[in-house]
Amino acid sequence: MNIIETKKLTKYYGNSPGIIDLDLSVEQGEIFGFIGPNGAGKSTTIRTLLGLIRPTGGSATIFGKDVVKFSPEINEEVGYLPSEVFYYDDMRAIDLLKYSGSFYKKDQKVIAKRINDLAAYLDLDLKKKIDDLSYGNKKKVGIIQGLLHQPKLIILDEPTGGLDPLMQQRFFALLKEENKKGATILFSSHILSEVQKLCDRVAIIKDGKIIKVERIDSLIENTNKRFKLETAVKVDKSRFTGLTGISDLVITDNSISFLYRGKINDVTKIIASLNLTNMLVEEPDLEEIFLHYYATD
Amino acid sequence: MNIFFRELKVYRKSLLFWSLGMIALVASGMAKFAAYSNTGQSMNAILSQFPQSIQTIFGLTGFDLSKASGFISVLFMYIALMATIHAVLLGAGIISKEERDKTAEFLFVRPINRARVISSKIAAGIINLVVINIVTFISSVYFVNYFTKDNSTINYVITLMCGLFFLQLMFFFIGTAVAAINNKSRTSASIATSVLLFSFILTFLININNDLKNLKYLTPFKYFDAKDLLATGKLDVIYVSISLVVVFVMIFMTYMSFANKDLND
Repeated sequence: MNIIETKKLTKYYGNSPGIIDLDLSVEQGEIFGFIGPNGAGKSTTIRTLLGLIRPTGGSATIFGKDVVKFSPEINEEVGYLPSEVFYYDDMRAIDLLKYSGSFYKKDQKVIAKRINDLAAYLDLDLKKKIDDLSYGNKKKVGIIQGLLHQPKLIILDEPTGGLDPLMQQRFFALLKEENKKGATILFSSHILSEVQKLCDRVAIIKDGKIIKVERIDSLIENTNKRFKLETAVKVDKSRFTGLTGISDLVITDNSISFLYRGKINDVTKIIASLNLTNMLVEEPDLEEIFLHYYATD
Repeated sequence: MNIFFRELKVYRKSLLFWSLGMIALVASGMAKFAAYSNTGQSMNAILSQFPQSIQTIFGLTGFDLSKASGFISVLFMYIALMATIHAVLLGAGIISKEERDKTAEFLFVRPINRARVISSKIAAGIINLVVINIVTFISSVYFVNYFTKDNSTINYVITLMCGLFFLQLMFFFIGTAVAAINNKSRTSASIATSVLLFSFILTFLININNDLKNLKYLTPFKYFDAKDLLATGKLDVIYVSISLVVVFVMIFMTYMSFANKDLND
């Protein structure tokens, strides 16, 4: 069963479109990346799924239940971390988190223990007032309120801002652990390296439409690899003729650079016959792939 | 229940200050009465020298200011204004503040439907209105007694407070309805207050200009005019009915608009 499924989901704000005919399905147990630049419609999609805003067309289900009709029921098993966290400033972190936990049917003692465990893991002082917390520490409160009820679906909207690299690492480890325990994760971001680190599949969204859904590994597999070779003597261009999938070939006195997409064996046979002094093969990062999708309009 | 208690806690400080303000208003008002009556001059004679429009604007017409009942009737206009400003701000604020303070993303992703959130907030709001009403009642009785030694007004004060409660309810729910309908959470309080000021000014205009008296149904302040309450000693059934209709329409609009609202920041 798909945990999240949208069919032609559309949201207009007045006359300006937020998302248009969005079809998305997130399977149980996967970490699904949702990437696109600011204003592409990531947040609109997420807010519609959470029942904060109402779709103007199409439909969406979570756990097979319609998000408009069954929003409270669905939210029992959903944890959400927004990009910017705003909480009741007058409360202490612990009070806010207990208040947050009080809405769920789960055993409050279990929730209280979970709050303490997570706070210890993330190194957060629960006795401080929300108002007195730094941005990064508020974010930690955000992470805890999203995970304290051990949700089956975790929705994260550009969640890493404000976290230092160490905390980010702990946070990702936490997410991976939740995922192992069975939680499905929808992770929206415009930072591609973090999506690459975490996600199984990824949807690329642009101007309110999904332009590609692909497995992260095949997304990388199906693209060019960059070869950089250094040779003892200048190599003639003709050595590479007959090789399909080669492009952007540049040969200078003792260096060769080209992009290659195809069978690795074919290219290594040619390379093996050269007098090499050095060799570098680079995976294209998601950034390049991403630009590729955005450039082709 | 968690939202209900949370809201009570959020508003307890504001409630304290409004209560103190109300006590101060009643105390200073009645103290003036004591000062006037001590001069030994007839207040009525002096005030009748004022131009009619001035008398009307200050709500002085038709009251015998040598009596405590007359004086508290004049004061009631100011009490009603203060209590309704409190009510309308409370109504607009309690609904719109989650969006205004961007905590909507915290609260409305919990497993609770919007109608229940609204109900809890309304319940907490009504507790606040009741407290203000009781504080007004007790301080009126106390200060009337303190400055005049006149105990005959207690039933009249009870009637005034009943009228006041209807006014508070109407403006509270006008506030909640405005906040539920309005998509720009920051402007809800000022829109709701504008509605209040409009009806308050309309009351003056009706009082000054007799040609406008058919507009009296447009302003809740005319429903519970101290002049009428003093004359009859009880609330008018028609006005009470209209008030209840206003209250129910506003409640209905609050729930309906909020149910399908886009909760943005």
